[in-house]
Amino acid sequence: MKILIIEDEKELSASIADYLSSQDYTCDVADDFAGAIDKTEYNNYDCILLDISLPGGSGLKILERLKEDKKTDGVLIISAKNSLDDKIQGLNLGADDYLSKPFHLSELNARIAAIIRRKNFEGNNLIEFQNLIIDTQSKTVTVNKNLVELTKKEYELLLYFISNKKRLISKDAIAEHLWGNDMSGNFDFIYTHIKNLRKKLMDAGDADYIKSVYGMGYKFTNQ
Amino acid sequence: MKLLAKYNRVTIPITIATLLISSIAFYFILHYVLVHQLDKDLLIEKQEILHHISETGTLPEVSNYKDQQINFTLSKGQVLKNKFSTQNEYDKSEDEEETFRRLDFPVTVKGNTYIATVRKSQQETEDIVRLILMITFSVIAFLLLIIFIANRLLLGKLWQPFNNTIEQLKQFNLLGKNEIELHKTNVDEFTDLNSAAFLMTQKVNADYELLKSFTENASHEIQTPLAIIKTKLELLSQSENLSEPQINAIQSLNAATTRLSKLNQSLLLLTKIENRQFVTTEQVNISAILLSYLDNFEELAETKNISIKKNIGKDLLVEMNESLAEILISNLIINAIKHNHKEGSIEIGIEGNALSISNTGNVPTNGTSEYFERFKKDSASNDSLGLGLSIVKKICETYGFLVSYKYESERHIVSVQFTG
Repeated sequence: MKILIIEDEKELSASIADYLSSQDYTCDVADDFAGAIDKTEYNNYDCILLDISLPGGSGLKILERLKEDKKTDGVLIISAKNSLDDKIQGLNLGADDYLSKPFHLSELNARIAAIIRRKNFEGNNLIEFQNLIIDTQSKTVTVNKNLVELTKKEYELLLYFISNKKRLISKDAIAEHLWGNDMSGNFDFIYTHIKNLRKKLMDAGDADYIKSVYGMGYKFTNQ
Repeated sequence: MKLLAKYNRVTIPITIATLLISSIAFYFILHYVLVHQLDKDLLIEKQEILHHISETGTLPEVSNYKDQQINFTLSKGQVLKNKFSTQNEYDKSEDEEETFRRLDFPVTVKGNTYIATVRKSQQETEDIVRLILMITFSVIAFLLLIIFIANRLLLGKLWQPFNNTIEQLKQFNLLGKNEIELHKTNVDEFTDLNSAAFLMTQKVNADYELLKSFTENASHEIQTPLAIIKTKLELLSQSENLSEPQINAIQSLNAATTRLSKLNQSLLLLTKIENRQFVTTEQVNISAILLSYLDNFEELAETKNISIKKNIGKDLLVEMNESLAEILISNLIINAIKHNHKEGSIEIGIEGNALSISNTGNVPTNGTSEYFERFKKDSASNDSLGLGLSIVKKICETYGFLVSYKYESERHIVSVQFTG
C-alpha cells in the first residue's frame, strides 16, 4: 500500500511516515506544492494525505488537478485550519475525508484504512486477524466462525483496534474516536466499553487480543 | 435636547427682548415727534393770533371747536413766556378721558396783558401712536411666528445630510451592511462629517478583517506545533521498555496537549460565533438532531448506568446554522452525561418551541448563574474546560434564543427557548 504525505511541516510528516511504515504502508513525502504535483502525476497512491496550506499553492488546487486527471487515489485532507469552508470545499472537490490538526496517529491510520477499504470495495471486505474476522460490509464479527453480537460503539472500537493492530492506542485517542473531540479526557467511559468488548471476544472463542498497557492505553495484539 | 430647541432657547428671548425694547423706544420717539409737531401747530396758531392783534389791535374771537380752542384770560402777571403743557379732561359726550396739548403765552392789547391759551386735541396723536404700536406688535408677533416656522422647515432641510449620515451609521454592521452610502452635500461641516464617517468605517472594516484573519492564523499556527507534539508523544509511547516515571511524564504531556488543543479550538469557536462567521442559516430540525446525538451517546450513558427519558413530540424546526445547532445539542447532551453520577438519569423534552434537558448530579457549590460564564466549572469534573455552557449561551445569544439554568428538586435543568 502506497501513501503520499503532502505536508510542509517536516517534523509532522516524519512522525506520520514513521507510524504508517509500522503498519506496512510505503510512504512518500512531498513538502511543497511543486513536489506534490510532481509525485501525484507520475505515481498512483492508495491514499494521499493532503495539507491545505502549502508553500507554493493551495492543497485544494492539487485536489482539483487529481480530479481533472481522473485519478482515483483516495484523498484525506489534514488541515490546521479548522474552518468549515475548507472542509466543505475539500469534500465537494472529491476528498474522501477531512481530519483537523492536531490528530492522533492512530485516528489518522484508522481513517486511511477506512478510505482504502472503500476504494477496494469490489474486492475483499473481510478483515482477518488470527481467528477473528470482521465483515465491513455487513458489519458483523465472527470468532472461530461464531457470530459476536456487538453494539455500535463496540464494533467501532474493534475496527479501530484492528486498523491499529500491534500499536499502542492511547485512551484519549479511543475516547475521541468514539465520541468526538468533546469527550476526550473522559477515560472512565471507555473502560466499560473495553471490558465488555474483551469479554464478548473471549466468550466467543478465546480471542483475548486487547492488552492493557500500564498508564498508557491499549494494544491489540496476539503476543 | 435638540440643537434647534437649544438654539431657539437663546435666540427667541433675545429677539423678543430686542423687539420689545425697540418698540418702547419707538413709542417714545414717535410720541415725541408727534407732540413736537402739535407744538409747532400751536406756535403757528400763536403767530396767527399775534398777527391778528397787530393788524386789528383787538383780541381774536374766542373759539371753541372740538379740535381747537382759543381762550384769553386777563394776566395777573405770572406768565411771561411760552408754556407748553398736556392736560387730560373728561369728555362727557364721549364718556372718556381726552388729552389736550395747550400753549399759554402773553399778549398785550391796548395796554392790557392777557394770557392766550390755545388748546388742541392730542387724542388723534395718541390714537395714531397706539395704532402704530399695535401694528408694530402684530408685525413682531407675525415675524416671530414666521421665524419659528421657517426655522423648523429650513433647519429640517439643512440638517438632512446630517440625519442621513446618522441613519447610515446606525445601519452600519460589520457582517451585513458594512458600507455606508453618504449623500453629497455642499455644506462644509457635513462634508467633513461624511468624510470622517467614511474613513472610520473603512478603518473599522479593515481592523475587523485583520482581527478575523489573526484569529484564524493564530489558531492555525498553534495547531501545527500541537500536532507535532502530539504525534511525537504518540510515537514515543510506542517504544518498548519505558520506565514508570517516563510513562507518567508522557501521560501528563499528552493530557496537557489535549487540553491546550481543545482550549484553542473552543476559544476559536467562541470567537467565530461572536464574529458571526456562521452566516448561512437554514431550517434545522432540532428534534432530529437531538435523536441522532442521543443515539450516538446512548452507549456512553449506559457505561455509567444513566437512564435517559425522552419526551420528544413534534418536530421542532428552527431557522439557524446547522453546525451551530449540532454544537448546541451535543454540548447540552455531553454536559448532562459528564456531570452526572452513576445510576443517574437524564430527562429530555421538547415542548412547543422549548427544549429542556435535566440531569441528576452533584449539588452546585457556587452560584448557578456562573455556569454560563467562561471557565466556570464545578471542581468535581476537572477534565472539562468550563467552556461548554458558554458556547451554548453564545449560540443562543446569536439567534436571540432564551437559555436558562436552574437547580430544582435535585436536578440540573437547562432549557432553551427557540423563539422566532
